[in-house]
Amino acid sequence: MGAISAAGGDIAETLECFAAGRRNLGKVTLFASSLDYPVFEVRRPFVYSSKYKSRTIQLVLTALDEALAGAGLDRDMSGRRVGVCMGTTVASQLNDVDFYQSYRKEGAAGMEPVENFLKGNLAEVVSAELRATGPAVTVVNACSSSSDAIGVALSWIRNGICDLVIAGGGDELNRIPLCGFGSLSVFSHKPCRPYDRDREGLNLGEGAGVVILESERSARARGAVPGLFVAGYGAACDAHHLTAPRPDGSGLETAVRGSLAEAGVQPSEVCFVNAHGTATRDNDKVEGSVLARVFGTDAKVLSTKGYTGHTLGAAGALEAVFSALALREGWIPASAGFENKDDEIPIGAVRERTAITGQYAVSTSLAFGGNNASLVIGRCS
Amino acid sequence: MPGISREEELAAIRAKLKELLVSNLNLEGVKPEQIKDDDALFGEGLGLDSLDAVEIVVILQRHFGVEIKDMEKGREIFRSVNTVANYIYDYKEGKK
Amino acid sequence: MGIVFSRGRGIASLEQALQEGWVPPSEVEVRGLDSRLPVYPVSAETLTDKAVLAKARRADRFVRMSVLAASDAIQDSGLAGSLDKQRLGVIIATALGPHVTTFNFLDGIIDFGDAAVSPTAFSHSVHNAAASYVAMTLDVRGPTLTMTHFHFAFHDALLLARAWLDEKRCDSVLVGAVDELGTVMEYACGRMLKPAKDGRIKPFAFSLSPEAVPGEGSVFFLLTRETSGAAYAAVEPGDFTPGSFPAGSGLLLTDNSGMSGDESGYRVAVAGGMQAASYMPVFGSIMTGSAFQAAAGALVVKRQMRYACPVQDNPHCVNICSETVAGPVSNVLCLRLDCRGQGRTVRLMH
Repeated sequence: MGAISAAGGDIAETLECFAAGRRNLGKVTLFASSLDYPVFEVRRPFVYSSKYKSRTIQLVLTALDEALAGAGLDRDMSGRRVGVCMGTTVASQLNDVDFYQSYRKEGAAGMEPVENFLKGNLAEVVSAELRATGPAVTVVNACSSSSDAIGVALSWIRNGICDLVIAGGGDELNRIPLCGFGSLSVFSHKPCRPYDRDREGLNLGEGAGVVILESERSARARGAVPGLFVAGYGAACDAHHLTAPRPDGSGLETAVRGSLAEAGVQPSEVCFVNAHGTATRDNDKVEGSVLARVFGTDAKVLSTKGYTGHTLGAAGALEAVFSALALREGWIPASAGFENKDDEIPIGAVRERTAITGQYAVSTSLAFGGNNASLVIGRCS
Repeated sequence: MPGISREEELAAIRAKLKELLVSNLNLEGVKPEQIKDDDALFGEGLGLDSLDAVEIVVILQRHFGVEIKDMEKGREIFRSVNTVANYIYDYKEGKK
Repeated sequence: MGIVFSRGRGIASLEQALQEGWVPPSEVEVRGLDSRLPVYPVSAETLTDKAVLAKARRADRFVRMSVLAASDAIQDSGLAGSLDKQRLGVIIATALGPHVTTFNFLDGIIDFGDAAVSPTAFSHSVHNAAASYVAMTLDVRGPTLTMTHFHFAFHDALLLARAWLDEKRCDSVLVGAVDELGTVMEYACGRMLKPAKDGRIKPFAFSLSPEAVPGEGSVFFLLTRETSGAAYAAVEPGDFTPGSFPAGSGLLLTDNSGMSGDESGYRVAVAGGMQAASYMPVFGSIMTGSAFQAAAGALVVKRQMRYACPVQDNPHCVNICSETVAGPVSNVLCLRLDCRGQGRTVRLMH
């Protein structure tokens, strides 16, 4: 596994940040904008900055390196049928403002941004870096992109398409979604408060999360002893609205129950839920109601977006990594930003660092556009 | 502007607002003059939704110089063309 | 199947286009280009349908093309009344996404500033807007996923659809592709590609610097595990292995259309002797063009009809289909290569 976000440049830093309850947010420094919403930027420098212009690619490759090292795998996967499935939002768009402004003004623009764009398909770049031959898919499913990418990877392995898949996602902090989400009035001017009675909206963040999924057979063949696994994936669409979740949460409930059924896990066996928890009024209310219905009002729920912000295409993968880490380490951090339970949400988040002893966790994602995704992560006993 | 009464100015705001609603919200098949001043904009009536609500915030910003900082307050202001027009007028009077 | 392209909407339009062959493209003035660009655009009339687009008031052309093609695929299947929408999934492949709306959104930033941009434009500028509208229009409650790639997005969409069906995640999957034209994209095409002066894409020239006529459209397939009376063909995505196209009763369709640079690699593929054709000159140069060719291939299998190549320039004397002929077609193999020589196939079987 690998992870990079405002919470830390790698897993160790992230765990330390969670333990300390530190929230590394501040003003936007990566680009000029008249908007002054607080954001979660990654402050650490990148190894790959000279090779790739795209910050998203740099974030993903940084997390990839950590994941490969942790799995004891070589970077060169020449000739191996290794799949790559990455989620993103920003990196899939040609949204270079300077390029477009030049074309608008002069009727001409240099083609370098277009060339970089055409060479910058996230999954293709990762696949080329690894010299892998196998499917390379970039999922662009808004906020559930990298959860869905992990779901795709699971399908590939279960169906014998690959034995090994690099899955995850990344998104850089970018002026376009900052402006866009700002116009949707979903931002808070303060540190976000997921599930809290007084929550006012989300903070944008950036980062990348990578997991390496491998079939049991392949892992055994190379003598690897995995400690964690993806047990199930569920996804279902609300079919309701482009930007608002279905009020009754039926899409999310279908996704969550579907993932549990696939994993063969009962709700009572799930020791915590890493919720999407963006801290918007709508999301947390709908999601909280569903989680209470499925897991009961006593279930342990947290949102790690209080530490990372909403990292869009990276969110699902980062939160899958955080869930896996929690199972491995035996604790979940306080749900940063949560103080007072909202009476309209039947469930509250954890206020302090909490020990957990179970084998399974669930991570949920609710996307703009209406797709809902749920992953069941397990720890080998 | 001298010589223009409050009512005349409000009428002009309402007319401009209706045109902008039809064009910017892509209300196909609806003519500006068909929108009644007191018809509900959301729910029944014109049937606008939450995405239209935030788009109206931008219409007000771009075309009338009016800022809506609080979307909760926005719900009351956006009840009908009349309430929006009144808000625009009062906002500009207040700003002057 | 459902299709929206420059020759119209629906399978009848597709069939007619394959029978008629090549037609001259439109020409468009593009700011910044010295000469007019040949293009195959979808007409405004094609995108008019009050009933199907009732929930798409704010939708742009990218979304409208997708919704119409997806809706038509459901109707065309004859399964509209019996599909369990909870068990229906949607997978959409796109190379460039809704770039027209993305640039409209940037207009807002440039003209009005970061704080006064259109939320409607932003929420429609994301690649998954089409899947969202397809789900809303057709009330699809299964998983929905949009994927992007400049060469093989459609192939990977098919691969995933098969996996979803095999693992019983879904009972049926709507797999579609969509890509659109737009001023900035046309400018980039004019600068980076070689627009065909005579308006003809020449797949069998196997050129190092092939000619292009940018196109747009959307095509959808309703895929199920079991066949039914209305079914067109069995579908099998696969990898390209050189030498795997021996002469036989199949038909090889090459997906090259001037969009992806050096096409000389296709020459090796057709050397095996299987009769070849390409219908890309009917659709135009579209990055997700493989989906459109697959639709044509499915029609070949269903009708047992080899349609004549719309453009028959053939300097390398390949065994191409030069006349429309009815007769047995056991399978159609669509081939797509990228500029590194990696290849993917879609096999359509009777």
